[in-house]
Amino acid sequence: MHELLLFASVPGQQHHELLQQLTGLTAAQPTHRLERHLVFKAYRRPGSVNTRIGGSQDLQAPEIQRLTKMLNGAMFYTQVVGPVTEKDFGSVPLSQFTARSTVNDKRPAEGDQGNWYDFEDQRWRLEFRDIPEPGARTTVTTRLMANATLPRGDVLTPMNAWGYSFVTEYIMEGDVFIHNDIVLFLYRVLTFPADSHDPQPPRQTLPALREMIPLDRSGGYVLQAVVIVTDGSNPEIMKLASQRLLGLKEQLKSAVKLEQADRLSLDTRVK
Amino acid sequence: MDYYNRTSLQSQASIISNNLVSISEQLSENRELLSSLVAYPAPSFPGRTHAGALQELLRTKLDPRVEDWVAQGRTSGASALEDKKKNGLSERELAELWEWAPIGANVEARRRIWGGNFTLEEKEMGIQNVVTGLTRQPEDDDSEADEDGEEAVDEDDEMEVMGAHRKVGGVGVELSRPVSGAVPLDEIFRYMMTGVWPKSGNA
Repeated sequence: MHELLLFASVPGQQHHELLQQLTGLTAAQPTHRLERHLVFKAYRRPGSVNTRIGGSQDLQAPEIQRLTKMLNGAMFYTQVVGPVTEKDFGSVPLSQFTARSTVNDKRPAEGDQGNWYDFEDQRWRLEFRDIPEPGARTTVTTRLMANATLPRGDVLTPMNAWGYSFVTEYIMEGDVFIHNDIVLFLYRVLTFPADSHDPQPPRQTLPALREMIPLDRSGGYVLQAVVIVTDGSNPEIMKLASQRLLGLKEQLKSAVKLEQADRLSLDTRVK
Repeated sequence: MDYYNRTSLQSQASIISNNLVSISEQLSENRELLSSLVAYPAPSFPGRTHAGALQELLRTKLDPRVEDWVAQGRTSGASALEDKKKNGLSERELAELWEWAPIGANVEARRRIWGGNFTLEEKEMGIQNVVTGLTRQPEDDDSEADEDGEEAVDEDDEMEVMGAHRKVGGVGVELSRPVSGAVPLDEIFRYMMTGVWPKSGNA
């Protein structure tokens, strides 16, 4: 799959106005979206890849060469994304909640009004994003993408087993609009407050939403317009998709300036 | 759609013209050799199946149609050269033109009152007749102010509103230049992708 993107920086004071404009444009109310983003970095375990450099006399078969290239090729940062809700913030972990409650059930009763966040039940999906394709062929950012559903709960163990180490996590908060084939996401990045929490493993609990610190303290938002193309090798469809995006850019010209992103800022390769 | 077609058309045309140029270069470079070559069919040439090609190759004179093309090309080439001679300015003439042009433009400029939206000539003709190509009506400031005080006040009000509008519209322009204190998009993306903390903005 490929995604085609355009971005715009939205100053904080324009946020509300733009929300209204987008509501008008798409003729639909926005969907609020909160996501936990865990950034993972691939690392190469010593000795895991057996390459014998030197001894160039015996030429390797092309398949072996290709395989070596794949194994030693670029490594990437990947993200594990989990949808959360507002009430997950500032709530107690399920274990404490059940410990406090008089009921000895493993889970609180259905009708229970308490706020609890169960990390073990958190849904996750793995999101791979390649570095955007080079070249000024089109005026939109194009990159290869792939998503995969992960088991619920602890993601650190499987990710470590696959050769990824946890880097950091943040929250993406924003509103989603759908406009024809285009998904518009007006978001900001929230970072976790510097508290006593160990920054290494992903948090089991989330602090209150109001304690979260925006990455951009001036209150700015980012507007992202994306079209996802299943068959990225079909130039016709890719062209059509970029034309749709450019059409939207033209439509929103007076409100925001949608532009392609700096390719290297979206570089996911591990250096 | 139209736009894409036009650019592809242009690139195709330039490819064709490049090819033609290289063919003509080859032909003129190897002119001597080509004109002294004589075609001689070997017995192995498939004369039966390729009779047409064989005939073309063995021709001593050009096909009448081709001869017409050649004649046409020669005349158009000659006329193009002639045109160049007739219409092109000589070095001296060009120098003369450049010497005159800045002064001429200056003289012409002095005759107009700059700063307003219309020239004196246009005002005399009546500004409503001027084709500006603008969707908004450019206000003709000073003349109206002289004529009617009250209207001028209205005009001023309107101008202030216009100014405010411009500021609002200007947001679009200002966007590319980040607001002070804001984190640039690329640093936000870098943080989102790799967890590298932005250099600017926050500590």
